[in-house]
This record gives sequence, structure tokens and C-alpha cells, in this order.
Amino acid sequence: MLEFDGLHKSYGAHRVLDGVSFSVAPGSVFGFCGSNGAGKTTTMRIAMGLARADAGEVRWQGRPLDQVLRRRIGYMPEERGLYPKMRVGEQLAYLARLHGLDAGAAARAAEHWADRLGLGERRRDPVEKLSLGNQQRVQLAAALVSRPEVLILDEPFSGLDPVGVDALAEALLEQARGGVPVVFSSHQLDLVERLCDAVGILARGAMVATGPVAELRRREAGRVLRVVVPDAAPGWAATLPGVRVVSERAGDTLLDLDPGADDQAVLAAALRTGRVTHFAWREPTLVELFREAVAEPAGEVAA
Amino acid sequence: MTSSEPRTPGSAALVRLVAAREVSSRIRDKNFIVSSVVIIVLLLGLLAFQVVAGSGDSGSRLGIVGDDGRLGAAVQAQAEAVGVDVEVVDYTDEAAARAAVEDEEVDGVLLDGAGPAPELLVTGRDATLEALVGGAVSGVAISDRLLEAGVDLQSLPEVAVTPLGGSDDDGQRVVVAVIGVVVLYGLLLLFAQFVAQGVVEEKSSRVVELLLATMRPWQLLAGKILGLGLLGLGQMVVIGVVGVTAALALDVVEVPGEVIGTVVTVVAWFVLGYAFYASVFAVAASLVSRQEDLGSVLTPASMLLIVGFVVSVQAAGDPGGTLATVTSFVPGMSPLVMPVRQAAGEAALWEVALAVVLMLLAIALAVRLGGRVYAGALLRTSGKTKIREALRAERA
Repeated sequence: MLEFDGLHKSYGAHRVLDGVSFSVAPGSVFGFCGSNGAGKTTTMRIAMGLARADAGEVRWQGRPLDQVLRRRIGYMPEERGLYPKMRVGEQLAYLARLHGLDAGAAARAAEHWADRLGLGERRRDPVEKLSLGNQQRVQLAAALVSRPEVLILDEPFSGLDPVGVDALAEALLEQARGGVPVVFSSHQLDLVERLCDAVGILARGAMVATGPVAELRRREAGRVLRVVVPDAAPGWAATLPGVRVVSERAGDTLLDLDPGADDQAVLAAALRTGRVTHFAWREPTLVELFREAVAEPAGEVAA
Repeated sequence: MTSSEPRTPGSAALVRLVAAREVSSRIRDKNFIVSSVVIIVLLLGLLAFQVVAGSGDSGSRLGIVGDDGRLGAAVQAQAEAVGVDVEVVDYTDEAAARAAVEDEEVDGVLLDGAGPAPELLVTGRDATLEALVGGAVSGVAISDRLLEAGVDLQSLPEVAVTPLGGSDDDGQRVVVAVIGVVVLYGLLLLFAQFVAQGVVEEKSSRVVELLLATMRPWQLLAGKILGLGLLGLGQMVVIGVVGVTAALALDVVEVPGEVIGTVVTVVAWFVLGYAFYASVFAVAASLVSRQEDLGSVLTPASMLLIVGFVVSVQAAGDPGGTLATVTSFVPGMSPLVMPVRQAAGEAALWEVALAVVLMLLAIALAVRLGGRVYAGALLRTSGKTKIREALRAERA
């Protein structure tokens, strides 16, 4: 289990993390979402020892992460970083050796991952000669080349074309199937929804929602009801007790029900207007969950 | 992919990996190759210039017929006075002497040297030889005439020579030391800048985040300084060996033992100087994030190096002066000034020892304090970091 436990971090008066906690089981993919500046990168940098937490710690298999354990982590920083003039293959082999592989194993691993991520023919080119997308692939290969026990990836999908996204997604899922806990941050919520077993939404330095996507949905579901009544007069549901009309367009109505409101009363009212072609609790998308979760309590809209 | 499991590399292994990367990437770098070639070519050029400039003194052979011993000695004394080698060969009869000139066994033959009509037979005109023979012949003739006139030559005053500023050998050693210091200065500046550029490259490319996830800042710093240092030392030794070999082969220097001693001294001072400047430059470089900002943070340390160099060149002319004496103890300047004073025989052993100890203390301070600044500043990849902020960040 990879556990992030009660991380606090302030830069001067600016509080960046205010008790961030979540855990990732081996073999699962954890999507880390949050607005820009919410503290995702700081959380990951603390895990990698690149920033120091004011309080709290990150543990892997029950042991607080230290320099030795961190070598077993594959890391992709938000600010991409590679030696620009070093050749792709040599660079990957060098990083693998820093993580403790011997020379032979490092060379083989470098070759394997370069081929795997479609960089086979560019192995002898310096990184700076590659396109940004390909540099991104090298960066990912750098995280994977040391056969890590844990993967922590900051925005791994940004800047990739759809083919690259698929290759990366496949590589991450394969790592997870091999028992590696994978944490990655992303703004591409459709990807997070597709790949992740669990998500965490970070807002204002704290986790505002964590858990499997389906569970988050259930928690939020039971509130928005979609009713399609083609023959109804506008405003047909306005007077129902405990019901707020979210939107209404040509009979396609979204209703927000108070916890105590009776959905069967809504159905009866709908039937009174004529035909009912659709009546169902609506599953919120991750985007909606995200918006809901990061919304400022005062009603301000988060950037 | 199922070969040996990754192991945790120790500090030594990490430092070695970093050092090996520095060497292998730098050795393929165009700037490095060009600078190495330029330095060696310059050095060989300097030696070749010395040979050409001093090429008049290749030895001559002079035959003398029927010498009573005074002429040969006089020619050789004259030759020595102007720094030319002349070998005198005695012939008993004129025919044999003529044959020797024609066979080019000798460059010239003096006939009737002490007589009324001295004659010099040569195959080709040789101004030096003619002047020497002329001087010797008239010298012998003058002393003969004076003797005949009863003048006492024993009572002529002789000029006593007192060399100031050391003997001839010291002069040669000082020249070698100055050449050595020029090379040392160039290499110190070059390699300390390599270190600085490497530090900024890692910061500006952000690769430092990946590196620090696997090692501590001091391991990265140590590997970088050691790797480039070995390369610099290797280059210094190659230059020293090439220089000394060429100088001996071309007869530019005459006392190999002392010259080699001076070269070894310069190389040893290079090690100390490099350790100091590499640390200081690395730390200064860690404060900035872009190559463009490097110049401004390196200026103070570069100034120390440049001033040391200027003083050392000045010290070659006045190795016992106050300026040279004082600066030869100042850490950072001592690697440049002290070798010159040592070569001039002006520095006592305790002075050298004191300068080395002061330098070692400065290195220890630079590594210790610098290591903390480096660690604190390395992850601040935006703009410039102040030393104070870096120290605070390291503690936080």
C-alpha cells in the first residue's frame, strides 16, 4: 500500500497542503485531479523528497519513504527533465543504473523501453533533436526503465497525441496489472475515468473526494433526475415540493431533488402531462463530480 | 527483462556513475576536444619558437694547424662568452687540414694562427666563426705584443660576477613555472566553467529532479567535480608530459630533473586549485537557472583567479617581492603564485606547507558551506536564488 498521510506544507503564509491523505493499493491506478495550483505537484514532490512536508509522511509498505525506497519509484516530474545533449539510449541506461540496475540490465531495459514506446530508431539521437511528443515518451521511458515498484507521474498525458496517449495508457495498465501502484495527475478527466480504479480530487490543499469512480458517482447520484415529457407545458415541475428545476428544454427536464423529496410523486406529475419517454436518475460524469467538488464553498467558481 | 534485480547503489557507486557520465559526455564535446588540441599545439609552437630563436648555436668544428695550445683555448673561451659551441681539432700539417675542410670534416681551418699572416680556410662564409677566430687571433697577438713590451698581464683587474635573483637554473625553472601557470590558469578556468555549465544545464533542463530522486545533492556535486577533475588532471598531465618530452627532445631545457620537479609542483597545485574553484563555481552556478545568468554569479570567483594569474606573471620578475609573497598564501591565488616562487627558490618549505594548509582549509569550507547552498538552491528552478535563501531552504 502506498499511503499519503496527513501532508501539510506552507510556503511562507501561503498554505499549499492542508492535510492531504489517500492511499493506493498495489495493482491499482489512482487518478489525481484538482484545479491548477491545488497542490498535486507539491504532493508528488514531497513523495519524491524534492520538497519537505511540514507535517505528515508518505509510506510504502508501511515504511516512510526514504532515499533507498525512493529509488524503487518511477517518477515523472511535471517539469520535464532530461539531459538535452545526451543520446536517448545512453540517457535511459544511465538513469536505470542510478536506480541500481547493473550495466547489462540497464542497457537491455533502455533498449526494451525505447522500442516499447516507439523510440527504437531514435535511440542514438540526442534528446534535444526529438519532437516534444517523443521527448515526452523518453521521459516516460525514464520513469519505467528501472523496473519500479511504484509509479508517480505528474501530468504524464499532457502534450501527447492520441496514439501516444494510448501507448502510455496501455503501459500504465500493464504496470498496474503487474502489481505496481500507479498514481498520476491529469486534467483529462475522461482519461482518468477510463483508466483509474480510484480518483482523488484535491481542492484548496485538501482531498475533497476520494474513492472509486463508481462509488463517487453513487454518492452523488440520487440527486439529479432526468425526465423527458414531450407533451408537457413549460414549468410543469416548478410547483412540485422539494424539487428544483435545473434545466428544461422542450420537455427534457433536469430536476434536482432534496433528500426528502419523493421521486414517485415526480413520476406521477410527469405522467399527468402525457407521455413519459425517459425517467431516470442521472449518473454524473467525472467532470461534474469534479466541478462540484472543487467549487468554492462561498459559491465562487474555481478557476 | 528478468535479469538481476536492482540493488541499492552505495554512495561510492553513485558518485562513480555521475563522474563516468561527466567524463564520457565531456570527452565527446567539441569545445573540450578543440581546447585540448589548441593548448598542446600552442605549447609545441612555443617550444618550436624557442628552438628556432636559439638555432644559431649549433656547434662548429674548427681545425687549427700547429697550435701551441693558446689559440684553441682562446677560441673556446671566446665561443663560451657568446654562448656558441666550438670544437677545436688540431692538425700537424697544412695538407691534412685542407683535406679536412674539403671533406667538410671541419667548418674551417686556421693557418699560421700565431704567425704574421694568419689565414682562415672555410667552405662557406660563417660570420660567427670568422668573428670568433678573429677575436682569438687578435687576443693572442695582443697578449704576445704586450708580453714583448714587458706589460704584466697578471695584474689586470678581473670582473667579479654576482648573479642577482638566483642562478641560471632558477631562471630556467621560473620560465617553466610561468608556462606551467599559464596552462594551469587556462585549465582551471576551463574546467571550473565546465562544472558550472553542467550544474546549470541540469537545473535548466530540470533533469536535476530525476537525479535527486535517486541521490543526494552532495553525491551529484562530488561526482561532477571528481569526473571533470580527473579529466582536467589527465589533460594537465598529458600537457606536462608532452611539454617536458618535447622540451628535452628539442634541447630547449638542459636540467631535466629540476624542470620535471617544477612541472610536478604545478600539477599538484592544479589539483588544489581545481578542488577549490570547481566547488566555488558549482555553488555559484547552482544559484541561477539559465546559462545566460551564469556570467554574473561567476564574476567574483573568476576575478580572484584572474588577479592571481596577473600577480603570478608579475611574480616571475620579482619572486621575492611583497605582493608575490603575500598572495602566495591567499587561498585561490596560491595555486598560481606559489609555483613561481617555488621555482625561483624564494619559498621556504614551511611557506609552501602553510599555503597548502590554508588552501585545504578553504577547500573544506567551500565544500561544506557550498554543499549546503547547492542543496538548497538546486530545486529552485526559477530565477536567481540568494545564498541566504538557499541556506534557509536547505534547513527547512
